[in-house]
Amino acid sequence: MDINVRKRSQVQLIQLRGQLRLGAAVDELRQTIAESLGNGDARIVINLSEVPMIDSSGIGLLVGFLASTKQRGGSLKLTQPSKFAVQTLRMVGVLNLFEVFDDDDAAVQSFA
Amino acid sequence: MESGAGSRQHDHELAELLNLRMPAESASIAAISDAISGCLVRLDIPQEKQLEIGLAVQEALSNAVVHGCKKDASKEIHCRLQRDPQGRIAIIVTDPGPGFSPELLSDPRHGENVYADHGRGVYLIRQLMDEVHFENGGNEIRMWKY
Repeated sequence: MDINVRKRSQVQLIQLRGQLRLGAAVDELRQTIAESLGNGDARIVINLSEVPMIDSSGIGLLVGFLASTKQRGGSLKLTQPSKFAVQTLRMVGVLNLFEVFDDDDAAVQSFA
Repeated sequence: MESGAGSRQHDHELAELLNLRMPAESASIAAISDAISGCLVRLDIPQEKQLEIGLAVQEALSNAVVHGCKKDASKEIHCRLQRDPQGRIAIIVTDPGPGFSPELLSDPRHGENVYADHGRGVYLIRQLMDEVHFENGGNEIRMWKY
């Protein structure tokens, strides 16, 4: 999985490319978000437009860090999830835990 | 859907399309999962079904690695892809672990389970596939997509 991190207006914008599944992909994203939290950055936006599939370990990671960011006064928001990713998140009852946006700008501005 | 009874009703005239083995480590899951996805593409399975089967396979292999084998790479997981004359797809994943009781799993959508960082794999498989059977005490899963 490719992970690209940028900072915009005090928000960590994480662009993912590839399947978010058990193994290197989940491990690398966990490390990336943990580093952000370690640096005091608890405002996180994850762009899922190039993530065709999220497995249960990926869902668990997103849910876990949603709680972690909120505990630190921030949040973890999602942008442009694929149809199948939305279907999967809804299937297990977690879609409505997240704020989901159509584009990164709207997600970043929502933290203002 | 989880009982073994009736789970072999499709077994006659099954064509075996893939028969793969992998060490019980998470790094090996992608290769098996991708091999199955490639086979589904060659069979001209509709893309939506490919995604659903692909995620179910991912979850079944993950369960075998993490729960069945406790990530012990010296253990081996067996994965087969079969098709019956009606074009229905069967995936069988077997691990050497002690098995489990799927009826004891709680609904991940209920109560505090929603906020848990685990416990969604088998539920997803049941939602994504048309038939799911656990056999041999739970260390073999047979799942069908029509």
